[in-house]
Amino acid sequence: MFDGFVHPGLVIGAALAAVPLLIHLLNRQRFRPMPWAAMRFVEAAYRKTRRRARLENLLLLLLRMGAIALLALAIARPFVGARSALSGMTESRRDVALILDASYSTGWRDGVRTVFEREIERARELLSTLNGPRGDRARLVVASRVPHLLSMRTPEEARDLLDTLNAPSDEPLDLTGALGEVRQHAEELARGEGVANLEIHLLSDMQRSTFAPDVRAGANQPAAGGAAGEGTPRLFEELDRLKALGLSVWVDDLGPSVDSPSNLAITELAPQTRVLGPDQPVDIGVRVDNFGATSQNGVRVVLEIDGERRPQRTLDIAAHGSARLVQSETFRERGPHRVRALLESDALSVDDTRAAIVVVPPALRVLLVNGAPSSDLARDEVGYLQAVLEPSRGDDAVATQAAPFEVRSVEPARLLDSDLDLGACDVIWLANVENLQQRAVERLEARVAAGGALIISLGDRADPIAYGTRLFKTDGSGLMPAELIARSLVSRDERYWRIQEFEATHPALAFFADERWKPLLTEVPFYGFFETRPLADARILARFDDAARSPALIERNFDRGRVFLWTSTIDADWTRMPESPRTLVPFVHELVRYAGTQSGREPNLEVGSSYAARVESFPRKLMLLSPDGTRRPIAGEATTLGPGSWMLPAVTATERAGLYMIELEGREGLPFAVALDTRESDLSRMSAPELLALHPVFRMAGAASGPLRGDDTQSDQKGELWRLIAGLTLACIVLETLWAAWIGRTRSVRG
Amino acid sequence: MAGSLDPAVLDKLAGLSLVARTVVDGFLSGQHRSPKRGSSAEFAQHREYVSGDELRRIDWKVFARSDRLVIKEFDDETSLDCHLLVDGSESMAFGSLDWTKFEYARWCAAALAQLVLQTRDTAGLVLFDEVERKKVPPKTGSGQKHDIIAALEAYTPTGKTKIGDVLFWLNGRLRRKGIVAIFSDFFDDTDKIIEGLRRLCYAGHEPILFQIVDPLEMSFDISYLVRLDGLEAAGVHKVDPKSLRAAYLEELDAHQRAIATGTRALGVDYVKLSTSQDLGAALSTYLARRRARSRGGRR
Repeated sequence: MFDGFVHPGLVIGAALAAVPLLIHLLNRQRFRPMPWAAMRFVEAAYRKTRRRARLENLLLLLLRMGAIALLALAIARPFVGARSALSGMTESRRDVALILDASYSTGWRDGVRTVFEREIERARELLSTLNGPRGDRARLVVASRVPHLLSMRTPEEARDLLDTLNAPSDEPLDLTGALGEVRQHAEELARGEGVANLEIHLLSDMQRSTFAPDVRAGANQPAAGGAAGEGTPRLFEELDRLKALGLSVWVDDLGPSVDSPSNLAITELAPQTRVLGPDQPVDIGVRVDNFGATSQNGVRVVLEIDGERRPQRTLDIAAHGSARLVQSETFRERGPHRVRALLESDALSVDDTRAAIVVVPPALRVLLVNGAPSSDLARDEVGYLQAVLEPSRGDDAVATQAAPFEVRSVEPARLLDSDLDLGACDVIWLANVENLQQRAVERLEARVAAGGALIISLGDRADPIAYGTRLFKTDGSGLMPAELIARSLVSRDERYWRIQEFEATHPALAFFADERWKPLLTEVPFYGFFETRPLADARILARFDDAARSPALIERNFDRGRVFLWTSTIDADWTRMPESPRTLVPFVHELVRYAGTQSGREPNLEVGSSYAARVESFPRKLMLLSPDGTRRPIAGEATTLGPGSWMLPAVTATERAGLYMIELEGREGLPFAVALDTRESDLSRMSAPELLALHPVFRMAGAASGPLRGDDTQSDQKGELWRLIAGLTLACIVLETLWAAWIGRTRSVRG
Repeated sequence: MAGSLDPAVLDKLAGLSLVARTVVDGFLSGQHRSPKRGSSAEFAQHREYVSGDELRRIDWKVFARSDRLVIKEFDDETSLDCHLLVDGSESMAFGSLDWTKFEYARWCAAALAQLVLQTRDTAGLVLFDEVERKKVPPKTGSGQKHDIIAALEAYTPTGKTKIGDVLFWLNGRLRRKGIVAIFSDFFDDTDKIIEGLRRLCYAGHEPILFQIVDPLEMSFDISYLVRLDGLEAAGVHKVDPKSLRAAYLEELDAHQRAIATGTRALGVDYVKLSTSQDLGAALSTYLARRRARSRGGRR
């Protein structure tokens, strides 16, 4: 009779139909005894009414049992196939999931309409085949970097939501995520209804990179039948899951008519060299990629610096090739500078511009705490350091303005002085400091915790006991990243140690990664250092070549700041490094620059990323100015990092590429740039046969074929009967009520 | 009156005595001609004149002496027999109130016995079910009242009812003509009952049917499912009274109508007494009606 039930377990509920019968039988047990004299009349009446009363009661009982049994059946939701005799009474409700490719590649304009507009039109066409009053449901998933479920109810709601979509996003498409969203829905349906009758339609431009990022490489192709092999990309795993649910994905090809549409895109815009300071030339590089099958000559590129256009340049770019334009710029002022590169607009215009922020860093404020001062530069503990960090100290005002460091030297006792504002120091360098008062340690801890950097270099004055007492804590709550054990010293005449290994990828030591400069670090003799026992979370950046491979440079995060421990001296007492400017200068500059660069301030990010900026005055009335000119308040509260330092709430509304500005009351705004993920700019298309061969779950719907291929998707659909049965249940209940009322009335009237 | 007449019943009887003092004469006096008409009758007593007494029976001598109207009564005139037939079958043991139909019938019979014996008529008692179970032969005098009450008190209802057969049987056993007051629920074959009554009438008796019924039997108004255990071994029935009530009442009504029709055809009084009715009021109403009827020249 039925092909099955959506909730087979609930069919057991039909057994509850026996309840009225049981009640009837139990009532028979509950007859109260009564002696009776006029039995002749009772018997006569009984003979006369027995048949009628039995019929009345039997019908009432059957109606009650029927109502309960039908209710249980309705809840169990039986369904029948198309071939069943009951199929005419079933509901052929349809569940349709529309995945709309809203990646920026769908902004490709073919004539007057974009691919995205064609997708919207097609979606409307598909939705028009649904019947809301019949119970059809539509799930509209707008897919880009993250799938957005816009509708999960009626086709009318989905159509209304379609009207609100007018442009694709600036994000790439994550097809796996979108299919995963739909698959979850299908699984819910399967759990709830026993079958996943879900029609999935993907409205797409058939971009090759979307479907099979590995196909061109010829790797990770699924085995026949869609079985996922080792290393199968997530997409194929998702497709396999859909197949396991018995579902198909109907792909509507709404993309360009050619297989490899031409498209030029700016794929990179960034300084080619480090920006050291104002008035220093910076090479700005612009990379332009030609994703088309024909070469493009005379491509005009314009660079715009802080709103001012530079002279136009041209590039010749081979088919499927790229070209780079480098332009030297000199920024006069410190701080962020807005840079834009523009191409002539083509069919896909969103990747024809790219923005970036070039930050000319402010001078790092370095406080040198001199543990062994001397009038002789060579014997002074920080003499060399100061010379390295401030080579141009003197009367040259221009040079001072452009200097990357502002250096100040104090004696250790000054750390107790509250007039000394540690918050105004980006980097504090303790050089061979013998001991520190507790108050000084507390001030240092507060500064580092708020995001400052502390570099500790040792020497003959450093007292391991005092350091162990005040600066080192085994639980990591102290500033020192390692415990000082003992000095290791050798005579200069006997032998020396060298740096044996270092982390070449670490920004502070990356300069020496170049084989040309590596010896500058690894060949410098060391005659003394402190043996140390680093904390577990400390990072050893360099080691000596002694038997124990003792650490030379150790880094450890301390709350929001960083602490570095240089286990030797920074003057010439235990090493000849100061005698080699080619080693000392890059070592100190890179270390101080890295230490003083606070994290979380990179103003160049990709679409969809979040940006959290730091400011040094309390932020009020935060507003975000988007590339399209809209202005909206930024939700959230600023976080206090320490004295004079606040972290702004993260800006997450970065769905459009371009230049943004965080506006704060009473101070200059903070610009940041959001760039496209240009993988989407390659518009190479996958052909229908390729797609069908890719995975059996794919089926081509063919936008040009006109009407929805609903017959295929519905031929094996099973229709539910629950509404019919619920109606019968209601009828039973109504009949039972009327019948019981009629019986009661007639019996009382007769009585 | 399970063991003896309880105070409530005695009250009823006391009230009945009062009634008797006012209506008994109308009930019996002058209504029944002596079967020994013409023969000398021995003076028995005086009694107060009541309206309806024949003027010729007034003792004028007493009137002349005391200015009181009294009637002279003779033994022959008070020798009316009143046979009290009380149904003692098991069906009479039913009662939905605090007393059963038999108890109510007992009170009625005792009351009538007292009335009759007060007027120096004879009263006898027969307790029966299928057959005669207990008999107190008709006599007069105060001792007879005690005998009748003692017999009524001592009896426990049992057995099946066969009123018609009992009436047939009694018809040949009653030697003197008189009133035959039958107290029963008459839940029996109506044809036989009527036939028995007809024979009594032919034999010169005056039967009076006192049908004692319980109000629940008459209404059958029971709101719950019941298992009816038939008295007189009438079987057991589990019934839904609501579904059965209409037909039951139809059957009961047909039965009552059959009795009423039969008694009316024979000119027999048929008095329905519900055990919920006040006994004194019920009896006095009937006696008053009977007296009024006799004044109107009707029997």
